[in-house]
Amino acid sequence: MFTGASKYFLGLTAGAVVSFVLYLLFVTPNDLGAIALGTVVLVAGTLAGVTLFNRDAEADTIEDATGAASQPLSNSVWPLVCALGVALMVVGLASVAMVFLIGLGVLALGAIEWLVQDWAEGASADNKFNAFIRERALNPLELPIFAAIGAGVIAFSFSRIMLAMDKSAGAILFIIIASAVLLVGFLNAFKPNFRGKIVAVLAAVAGVALIAGGVATALSGERSQLAEASAEDHFAHKECGEEKSKYFDKLANNRVPLRSGVTATVILEDGKLRAEMIGFPEPTRYVTIPKANDVSILFRNKDAEDRRLKLTLGTEVVAETGVEEKLYTCTQMTGEDQENVLVVNIKKQSSVAGPYELVVPGIDDAIEVVVP
Amino acid sequence: MKRMMSPRRLTALAGVLGVAFLAGCAKNAPQDTWQPKGPNAEKIDNLNWLVFPIAGVVGVIMLALFAVVMVKFRDRGQPIPKQTHGKPALEVTLTIIPALILSVVGVFTVRGIFDLAEDKDTEMIINVTGQQWWWEYDYPIQEEYGVAQPIITSGQMVIPAGTKVLLRETSRDVIHSFWVPALNGKKDAVPGRIHLLRMEADEPGIYAGQCAEFCGLSHANMRMEVVALSKEDFAAWVKNQLADYNAPAKDTLAKQGEEVFLNQCVRCHQVNGLKRADGTPAIAAPEDNVYAGAAPNLTKFMARNTFAGAMFDLVNKKCREDVWGASSSEFGTKYLAGVTEDCLNTTDLRAWLRNAPVMKPMYANPEKLEPTDGKYRGMPNLNLTEDDIDKLVAYLLTLR
Amino acid sequence: MAIIERPEATPAVPGAPSVPATVTPSSSLGALKRPVTTTGWKSWLFTVDHKKIGIIYGVMGMFFLVVGGVEALLIRLQLASAEGKVLNASVYNQMFTMHGTTMVFLFAMPTANAFANYFLPLQLGARDVAFPRMNALAVWLTLTGGIILNLAWFLGGAADGGWFMYAPNSGPIFSPSNGVDFWVIGLQIAGIGSLIGSINLIVTVLNMRAPGLSLMKMPVFSWMMLVVQFLLVFSLPVITVALALLMFQRSFGATFFDVAQGADPLLWQHLFWIFGHPEVYILVLPAFGIVSEILPTFSRKPLFGYPFVVFSGAAIGLVGFGVWAHHMFASGLGPVSVAVFSVATMAIAIPTGVKIFNWTLTMWGGKIWFAAPMKFAIGLVVLFTFGGLSGVTHSVAPSDTQQTDTYYIVAHFHYVLFGGMVFGLFAGFYYWWPKIFGKRLNERLGSWNFWLMFIGMNMTFGPMHILGLQGQPRRMYQWTENRAGEGFFDLGFWNMIASVGSFVLAIGVLVFFINVLWTSKKEPKAPLDPWDARTLEWITASPPKEHNFDRIPTVTHLDEFFHRKYQEDHATETMTPIKTAEEILAEEEANGESHIHLPSPSYWPFVLATGVGILGLGVIYGVPTMIIGASVVLVAIFGWVLEPSVAEDFDYEGTSHDDGPSKELTTHG
Repeated sequence: MFTGASKYFLGLTAGAVVSFVLYLLFVTPNDLGAIALGTVVLVAGTLAGVTLFNRDAEADTIEDATGAASQPLSNSVWPLVCALGVALMVVGLASVAMVFLIGLGVLALGAIEWLVQDWAEGASADNKFNAFIRERALNPLELPIFAAIGAGVIAFSFSRIMLAMDKSAGAILFIIIASAVLLVGFLNAFKPNFRGKIVAVLAAVAGVALIAGGVATALSGERSQLAEASAEDHFAHKECGEEKSKYFDKLANNRVPLRSGVTATVILEDGKLRAEMIGFPEPTRYVTIPKANDVSILFRNKDAEDRRLKLTLGTEVVAETGVEEKLYTCTQMTGEDQENVLVVNIKKQSSVAGPYELVVPGIDDAIEVVVP
Repeated sequence: MKRMMSPRRLTALAGVLGVAFLAGCAKNAPQDTWQPKGPNAEKIDNLNWLVFPIAGVVGVIMLALFAVVMVKFRDRGQPIPKQTHGKPALEVTLTIIPALILSVVGVFTVRGIFDLAEDKDTEMIINVTGQQWWWEYDYPIQEEYGVAQPIITSGQMVIPAGTKVLLRETSRDVIHSFWVPALNGKKDAVPGRIHLLRMEADEPGIYAGQCAEFCGLSHANMRMEVVALSKEDFAAWVKNQLADYNAPAKDTLAKQGEEVFLNQCVRCHQVNGLKRADGTPAIAAPEDNVYAGAAPNLTKFMARNTFAGAMFDLVNKKCREDVWGASSSEFGTKYLAGVTEDCLNTTDLRAWLRNAPVMKPMYANPEKLEPTDGKYRGMPNLNLTEDDIDKLVAYLLTLR
Repeated sequence: MAIIERPEATPAVPGAPSVPATVTPSSSLGALKRPVTTTGWKSWLFTVDHKKIGIIYGVMGMFFLVVGGVEALLIRLQLASAEGKVLNASVYNQMFTMHGTTMVFLFAMPTANAFANYFLPLQLGARDVAFPRMNALAVWLTLTGGIILNLAWFLGGAADGGWFMYAPNSGPIFSPSNGVDFWVIGLQIAGIGSLIGSINLIVTVLNMRAPGLSLMKMPVFSWMMLVVQFLLVFSLPVITVALALLMFQRSFGATFFDVAQGADPLLWQHLFWIFGHPEVYILVLPAFGIVSEILPTFSRKPLFGYPFVVFSGAAIGLVGFGVWAHHMFASGLGPVSVAVFSVATMAIAIPTGVKIFNWTLTMWGGKIWFAAPMKFAIGLVVLFTFGGLSGVTHSVAPSDTQQTDTYYIVAHFHYVLFGGMVFGLFAGFYYWWPKIFGKRLNERLGSWNFWLMFIGMNMTFGPMHILGLQGQPRRMYQWTENRAGEGFFDLGFWNMIASVGSFVLAIGVLVFFINVLWTSKKEPKAPLDPWDARTLEWITASPPKEHNFDRIPTVTHLDEFFHRKYQEDHATETMTPIKTAEEILAEEEANGESHIHLPSPSYWPFVLATGVGILGLGVIYGVPTMIIGASVVLVAIFGWVLEPSVAEDFDYEGTSHDDGPSKELTTHG
């Protein structure tokens, strides 16, 4: 299976890999030596691959050689692709690392395609057979990779555009694009002699527009509301007041699937609170939690108005300003007969850092939380 | 050789061995699952006495059957036997009989399961929290038992005898399992969940247990005991736990020990009522030093008689036999006496203070704490001098 | 047709229309020829022959039996006395984790696969399995997984969370060393191997049986293996998911089992045991199959109640998926779940009992020959009965809350797994050794082997019943005097007996290896049919020729071979011998087929398995290693697909005779 030259290069590659790994493991700092050995690995490996593919560029029979050599060479775009890859790599070295990596990928892709095309063309005198084996060998890679790249580019461009546009403008644009696609598909389905070339041109134009739009909007950034939301971390703020908070109470999650992890259920009924702790036969006016333990407290609202459950966790002095700030956490707004859960881990005893209380803003009642 | 190994003799041998086997049980194994000392363990024991004899009888019958078959049908030169392929009637019968037996067992089993899960008649509640590699117990406020404020202890859980106690188990880190065989089966303590386990002892006494779910390095060393006291003794115990802190007298070794304690131990261990030199209460901060956020509370430490996750005795051998072997009526008084100086197991306590990780493998090497953000899982080696240890031991003896 | 067959080249003549090329097979392009060596190490590394693959599985299994056995002996040495100092806590925890993992995944499953691979095609009258290259891939993946698992010993400590690896203890905080990562990757890879093997064998059984061999005429061993493969197909994906979740938690920062992020640690337990319970039936059913062959052969009677045995096996497999939470009775499930699983566990005792009765009734009225295979088979029946009965005591959930996580459980599963599965595998070795290697294992050494193992096993695991019921929990690196009770028969005594017994057991296993060596040097060649057996695999040479059967047999009876040898007279109920095994084989040879096409060896399964191994190691050691592994995998997959479908000059030409019909075996593997 292995020809003479390929055996030599494979052996060289194997030796170089072993030396490379050993060098990395045992020599520190590893720098020039690592680069040198790594280069040997790459070069020897490439040569091994090339000689394997070409079987040392020796033809088995005169017929094979003359048969292959008698075919005129066909066009090939791969040298161009390889050149593009090299160019991107050079540009990337001077600018952004990502461009260098993209260039590397393009180079690898072009090189593989080129090699395989060369091998396929030398396989026999029959063009159709050659094309068949080239496709057979590479389609399993080409189709998924190109499809993934294509889908990725389209999705990415589209997402950048949507993120940059105003919400309503974005909705309108989306409707327009979707309708256009639907229209083209409709025409295609009902007018079979719709010129394929026109569709292709339209698709190309649309594609270019999409990608250009995507690149432009990616560079210009997201719309201001989004930038502001991420800077101010809107959805992480817990505004635990009596009223509905603009961001924190959006899409309140009012169904709680977990049951076994709940240490206590706090129920608001008729303006009064009570706690039902697992294992306690009667409802209690306090909840006891071991310190430094992750516990879940379930809040069930049986009153008509939306309420939230808030746990006050004492106060803390902020180091820089010396201001004593109140600590608390809360659930989202909970509607009638709905539930929400509070997950807490209280590190200090209530006698020291307390008192801790479960309250419902707007209701004059409290359940004490005892952390012994 | 063949005669010696004849099936008949072998069966006899097996029978003799089997009987010897059954007689060969340890006496007074502290965690014997067949010596129930409380109603829950008794319910389980009743089920045991249903299913084990059935299994035993079936086993003996099958053994006899095998022996008969091997003797009766061995090759004695007979011709190739009749090639019977099966008797469906017989097989169906032999399928139905075990099914019937198991149905009976099943009915009793299901009843037992629901019986043991009953918790509406709970009389007392204790929260149990497992942590690598010790158990913490906290008693929520229950005025009817004199618990006016929460009590936190570890290692030995004290309960009133004849009372339906319900444990609310959870964990701070990995899964542990609370198991005191004399009183009930085991129940896992799972972080983020609360599991309920009933605990009731008929008589006062001390009942041994161990963590029964693999929880890491020192799983073997994570133990506990349940101490049952009569109702009066339990009230006295509660009163003692809630009593004020006795500061040691000035200029005693114990006072110096208190200083050492304030310097070294208070980082993790809490003693209620302990005050610093300037009069402020000394609050332990295990959440800063221990990954799981807690360390054993040492208030009234010498009221217990084991330490380090109930792995080592606080009492020396003589006193241990005295307390552990006491009869139900005397046990309470002996236990409540606590650990006095002449009963103290100085060797183990000093060894622990000298270098805890050597006594009990823990994750306490200061150079290897990166995965837990620099916090310990267990007690580190504090590099105390022998002098410091003398002082500390004197101080700890005052915690009664 | 693979793509690399080069069309015949005719030099094009300028001006003339191009002649369409014809394609002749096996003239390959480029580097992708298939290997053709039939002897030497290359023939083993690149083989796709099910018999060689079976032997590779067997050698692998026995090697890991020794590894796991040494781990067990170290455990028993540590536990022989109170507060033992043989192993420290960390090493002990690694030891029992690896003992369990090695024994289950690297000894038991591969050895069962050894028998399945070797004998399923032979028992079915086939020449190989359905997908020979996949078969090779499966064995090399299993070996890769085993190597990765055990590499951890040398690279920072093995996994130490128990073979069941409960979360959150298995997470990156509580198990910071790489050991658990190696465990996850090694098991994942071995699991892929098992899954591939299972699909392969299912297709083989369903599609490649000899003419006339209906499912209800299949030998019970084939039936049990079929059930096992279905169990694998449905249970392995569950542990694959569990291992993937754990891998993402440990290596990529996911929080599937992180309680602070809202996870429930019981998720792991459910996933693991939904796999873990069918796994134990995967382990024991092959042994049941083996003894269901041996007991009839050595009692000279057919298996009593063949349909019942087959259906009970299938029932065990099916119901086995419904009892997993009996491993979780103390885990806080709630009384309703516990009750349901308790009853289901009792239910599964019934089909198991059916088998025991059928085996006993097979021997009843027979003409029992106590050769070594029969000793081991009867040993299985006796020991498994005990193990099964203690299992029934576990099914009572309240009792189980006292028993679980104690040595009583250890006793139970060692009785069913060692007494059951291992004895069955050894029975299989003694029974089939003459078929595989042409010689019978020495009978005297076999007797010593059996008795030492039997006595050792009872000595080791019998006392564990007492230890467990008297309160010694499992997975403890040391036990102490103050929990050991008093009296002569305290827990210390029984621990010592168990430890001594484990060494007796080890010596027994050693005798097996001595027997293997002795047999290869000193035993004479065995006759073709040493046990007067009943099933198809005996109508072959010993060892079988590469193509198994000169002529695929046509089957008319259950126990086909026995019916060719004996004529039954229903009136007098006697069996008259009509042909000897040698005569039957000679007849098959005389009518052999002329052109038998066999699957050719291939490099790529081995390369692919290596690539998967490197890819797995990359999860631990970083993306560059993953890239290298992925490249090797990609190259191997391409090589596999693009290689010629046959090597040149590889077909077997039968002994010369007139042109008979040529039977091509179409393989697509």
